[in-house]
Amino acid sequence: MSGTGRAVRAEWTKLRTLPSTGWLLLALAGLTVAVGAAVTGSVDTSHCTSPAGCQEDTVRLALSGVRLGQVAAVVLGVLAVGGEYAAGTIAATLAAVPRRGTVLAAKAAVVAGAVAAAGTAGVLASLAAGRGLLTGNGFTAANGYPPLSPLDGPTARAAVGTVLYLVLVALLALGVGTALRDQAAAITAVLALLWIVPVVVQFVGDEAWRDRLVKFAPMPAGLAVQATRNLDRLPIGPWPGLGVLAVYAAAALLAGAVLFAVRDA
Amino acid sequence: MTPAKPAGAATAEPYRSTVQAEARDGFGRLLIAEWTKLRTVPRWTLTLLAAVLITVVVALLTAAGTESSGSGDRPVDSARRQIIDLGHYTYLPLGGDGSVVARVTSQQGGGGWAKAGLMIRGSAERATPYAALMVTPGHGVRLQTGYKGDGAGGGAGSAPRWLKLTRAGATVTGYESADGRGWRRVGSVRLKGLPPSALAGMFVAAPDETKVRRMFGGESVDGQPSVTRATFDHVSASPAPPGAQWRDRASPGGPAADPSMDGRTQAGGTFTLTGSGDVGPNEFADDTTRTTLTGVLIGQAAIVALAVLFVTSEYRRGMLRTTFAATPRRGRVLAAKAVVAGLAAMAAGLAAAFGAVLLAAPLQRSNGLSPPSLADGAVLRAVLGTAALLAVVAVFTVAVAVIVRRSAPAITVVLMVLLLPQIVATGLPLSAARWLERLTPAAGFAIQQTVVRFDRAIGPWTGFGVLCAYAAAAMAAALWLVRKRDT
Amino acid sequence: MDATIEVRGLRKRFGPTVAVDDLSFTAGPGRVTGFVGPNGAGKSTTMRMIMGLDRPDAGTALVGGRPYRSLRTPLCKLGAMLDASAVHPARRARDHLLWLAHANGLPARRVDEVIELAGLGGAARRRAGGFSLGMRQRLGIAAALLGDPPALMFDEPVNGLDPEGIAWMRGLLRSLAAEGRAVLVSSHLMGELEGGADHLVVIGRGRLIADTAVQDLLEAASAGRVELRTARRQEAMTALAHAGATVTATGRDAVTVTGLTTERIITLLTGAGVAFTGIAEHRASLEEAYMELTKDAVEFQAVTGREAP
Repeated sequence: MSGTGRAVRAEWTKLRTLPSTGWLLLALAGLTVAVGAAVTGSVDTSHCTSPAGCQEDTVRLALSGVRLGQVAAVVLGVLAVGGEYAAGTIAATLAAVPRRGTVLAAKAAVVAGAVAAAGTAGVLASLAAGRGLLTGNGFTAANGYPPLSPLDGPTARAAVGTVLYLVLVALLALGVGTALRDQAAAITAVLALLWIVPVVVQFVGDEAWRDRLVKFAPMPAGLAVQATRNLDRLPIGPWPGLGVLAVYAAAALLAGAVLFAVRDA
Repeated sequence: MTPAKPAGAATAEPYRSTVQAEARDGFGRLLIAEWTKLRTVPRWTLTLLAAVLITVVVALLTAAGTESSGSGDRPVDSARRQIIDLGHYTYLPLGGDGSVVARVTSQQGGGGWAKAGLMIRGSAERATPYAALMVTPGHGVRLQTGYKGDGAGGGAGSAPRWLKLTRAGATVTGYESADGRGWRRVGSVRLKGLPPSALAGMFVAAPDETKVRRMFGGESVDGQPSVTRATFDHVSASPAPPGAQWRDRASPGGPAADPSMDGRTQAGGTFTLTGSGDVGPNEFADDTTRTTLTGVLIGQAAIVALAVLFVTSEYRRGMLRTTFAATPRRGRVLAAKAVVAGLAAMAAGLAAAFGAVLLAAPLQRSNGLSPPSLADGAVLRAVLGTAALLAVVAVFTVAVAVIVRRSAPAITVVLMVLLLPQIVATGLPLSAARWLERLTPAAGFAIQQTVVRFDRAIGPWTGFGVLCAYAAAAMAAALWLVRKRDT
Repeated sequence: MDATIEVRGLRKRFGPTVAVDDLSFTAGPGRVTGFVGPNGAGKSTTMRMIMGLDRPDAGTALVGGRPYRSLRTPLCKLGAMLDASAVHPARRARDHLLWLAHANGLPARRVDEVIELAGLGGAARRRAGGFSLGMRQRLGIAAALLGDPPALMFDEPVNGLDPEGIAWMRGLLRSLAAEGRAVLVSSHLMGELEGGADHLVVIGRGRLIADTAVQDLLEAASAGRVELRTARRQEAMTALAHAGATVTATGRDAVTVTGLTTERIITLLTGAGVAFTGIAEHRASLEEAYMELTKDAVEFQAVTGREAP
């Protein structure tokens, strides 16, 4: 096995043997499904002038739970390095694998893998739950809302994109956690970065600025990948949006890697 | 090594503390102790400072990026943008006390909130005091006044309907009748600032037909004027001013030239009024004050992190044992911690909110916007409320941190309950979103609102009260736990 | 009454494990009481209960005759150092002492006094995060002395200190006791208390094993043992064993004899014509006395275990 392979295996063992990992992954899938179902269940066609005129993006509704579920991905990403600094095990880690780039790459690989697995479970369960709830709320095929199916083109893109979104958020958190070392600071920074822009944007009156914020903030841009209706009205397209988030994640990882390599452990 | 001699000291005088006489206990000392803890960790004072700076910088950025969307070359007074004073008004002068009577015979168009009825108002100027008695197709007979949604109650009944509005001093009273003989009193209002010489007459008004599209992270409002038309007969004003002619006040800037949108026709004693636009609060006005204070959402994250660390750093390093060794009464320690964190957050909040409003003002002015004025009660409430909001958030955070004891989950939980409801709400229909913004701690942000908007979920003080209730509940749980737990 | 730490029938369990089991002892004024037991014996738990940090399941712990939690200015009654690293790393040493002083309304002058007393003068304005272990111990001592209390309690104070630090600590403990204070010092190594403690409270698995003056303990442990050096070890052992002594070989040319006085051994060996190079009454070290004690305790526990299954 190569050095990187061994490092990945070591990191996987470390991640797997922490009780918090299991809980976080469960929370990731569970919160995604629960919030998605709650949101989907509270929307019906009665608040629209006509069922067909609702223009509700049902896929987006069903997958809206990732807004909360991503918290688990953030915490997991931050804890991967921040937890080691807090517990003081970083010295042992670097004693076993002195090449810091390899350590960070291995951590990124296992965090991404774990989040992708839990995210896939959460996304598929959300779509299944949405399928049941939406039909009951009047979003029927007769009204122009075909039942949700992961085999449908845009839905598949939204589902895959949502899983990638979660992975990128976790990597962003990993990068910030490595750069800041302190768990509290890292979690505050990442959650603020993700959540505050979507809230702030409601209070910005200027249309151009609102669009700019949505285009370049990681969460609104990244979640554009969930849209399946009125794509022309989005400030940013689905894949370019996810690309914006990827740039954030890459920048954070790069900053983390540079600081990790340069700094004393 | 030789074993110790049995100490002759065993028989010595028992020791007495030399500083015992100077020692004092008390809550005040505890506050000083906790404040010393807070101020002596440099990165915590820097965090407080950062919270202020971020808030002000965000305010400056939003002020720089927002340009006046209104027409006209002079700043629009923010208080005036928050009201609508449109519709069509046909009036006679009313010198002193008197009354006006008319029958609304029919009403078409404009939706359930279309208004047709009588109005006494100070002048034809915009935004003068008024009292209006009206019939609406969907909401019965109503008496309305003011521009902040402070209309007096309504009732049943629709056109045709007799209406009567009388003025006695500053009090205007409305009556309605089905036949013009038996009158029912609808209500009365006191109009502050109603000049002795006022106007009395008929009016029609109809709110714009608006479509609100909400999707996660944003909403767009499209408005279209809707037109209403109503017919009046048996119109009389008493005392009838000799020789006075009916005059018209059309929607300012409205399409007065287009008789299908706005105008009056008269045939004998029968008047037909056509108009569009509403009278009352502008439910779609931008809340400039709230926009200016948006940065507090980011500053708040710093305060939350600080309040969490203020507690969890003691748990993590075992310093809490030293704290409880110095003050065994744990409830008081927790109370002192909460008070210190709250006051520090409040001080930061005051600096941030006043800084944001005052520093953003020149930028807003140069962009053609009228900055929020601290002389306005609602604005002052929003600014001071922001400081209070941060204080309560800090107390809530301290309590959550004591319950959870670890930084990462504590920060996550607090930011989640404060921010997430506001994000998820935008993706829900208004009815569901309102409940989310009423029942979660995020309701506290209502204290920042200075405009009653269509999507208002909860009043400023009620919302703040909800947050306070959460903080109190969390504090009670924390107090119970901290006394019960071993350290 | 002020200068005592008293524990009566203290009991504490954490889930299924009993940490402290019916423990009673008193640390009196004017002496250093060593609180000894192996790791996990319940020393720290007992100290935490004395300070009101953990609630006992049964029994009481009193400081100057009162429960710690009822004290209004506790720093003037009991000074304690439980964990020297329990300091925020970003805070200056002086500031750490300052908030502590504020909590009991003590004047800031007192902070400067204890800084001098603990020998921290030069480091008072430095941040605690950069302190060595020895410096942190001194900061902990300064905090304990802040209220000039008549009773003091230290949990493993010499753990990790260099020899110089250990000597300093020992001298400090002795001088504090000499002023008439009660000093309770825990350690898991009896040797650390050698020359430091006057009185010993020994516990194992949460139970009291011994509560005795150091002098008595050493005398009891030394009693009747004679060390003998001889090149003809085998012959000496045979001769002495015949006389009824218990003889143990402790080295290539050394034996330990019990059951015979020194004079009798000399007579016997001279009579048997066995030459020896040295003979001396054994002086037990505290460590030995401790091993002796805990060995008995283990046996005692095994027996009671069989009687009451």
